[in-house]
Amino acid sequence: MASEKELSDFLKSVEKRAFKRALYAVRDDDAALDIVQDAMIRLAEKYGDRPPAELPLVFQRILSNATMDWFRRRKVRSGVVRNFSDFEAPGDDGSFDILETLEALNGSPAFESAADSVSRGQILEIIESQVEQLPARQREAFLLRYWEEFDVAETAAAMGCSEGSVKTHCSRAVHALAKALKAKGIEP
Amino acid sequence: MNHPHMILSSGGLETLQSRFALRVAGRLSQSADELPHDITERLKAAREQALERSRLARRAEASAGVQVTGNGSSASLALGGGARSERWLKLASLVPLLALVAGFLLIDHLRVKSQIRAAADIDTALLADDLPLAAYSDPGFVEFLKAPRDR
Repeated sequence: MASEKELSDFLKSVEKRAFKRALYAVRDDDAALDIVQDAMIRLAEKYGDRPPAELPLVFQRILSNATMDWFRRRKVRSGVVRNFSDFEAPGDDGSFDILETLEALNGSPAFESAADSVSRGQILEIIESQVEQLPARQREAFLLRYWEEFDVAETAAAMGCSEGSVKTHCSRAVHALAKALKAKGIEP
Repeated sequence: MNHPHMILSSGGLETLQSRFALRVAGRLSQSADELPHDITERLKAAREQALERSRLARRAEASAGVQVTGNGSSASLALGGGARSERWLKLASLVPLLALVAGFLLIDHLRVKSQIRAAADIDTALLADDLPLAAYSDPGFVEFLKAPRDR
């Protein structure tokens, strides 16, 4: 059972990333704060007696549910369709070479001059904007897998889907991000 | 077709993907670390509120599980006990219903008994009473006497 200090330390360690995750989904500071607060309270009230090792997975699941609840409450149909569908981004003509792009973004100096010409804050803004534009499931898989550093099985458990789906979502997310960032001349 | 990327295995692709994804994640972490002061303060307030709720929940749980012991070893009242106490509460809620049914049965039994007693009293009074002389001249009574016993 997590002690109060362990729970406090855990919440402190995840609160900023949780806020950002919620913000990428709902695109509104106040709503994202409400969602994080709701998730924290649900965790503290109902799952505070869980062992500390279980808290990250449980919290991410609660955060996802809290975000879904927010969308349900809002009942903004267009927003739900835009944010919760898994359709691919428009303009996917199939001519994009993921290997070429990844290799280039992972070390080629070709983009350095472009990146240098944009301020660091602007680069962050563009990257975040591209993350926001990912389909919801792809974004969730990507953030859990690479930002929260869950393994594939943990990500699948947090998302309530199969490990194969997680791999597919992650791969598509990376593909889409690489393509979008390349188009803007951004090296992450 | 000598495409240079064809020599990369799927493992190589995954490595490239992971490396790229981790770099993006690193950028996102930078962004998260640079949240505005008002947002971090509101997050802190939210965290404290959650911890306060956790404290209340723990306190409520502890008080539900507490055992109140009376003076002496014979008198003790145990609260809590989880599923077992819930089962007892359900059983206890059936007691008034059972009492009501038992009451109806008792009332019915007493009513039948009093009717029997009243009929017996009438029969006793009739049998013990002297037969009036006029009864012997009553045609109905004569018919009654003539009728078979099992009627």
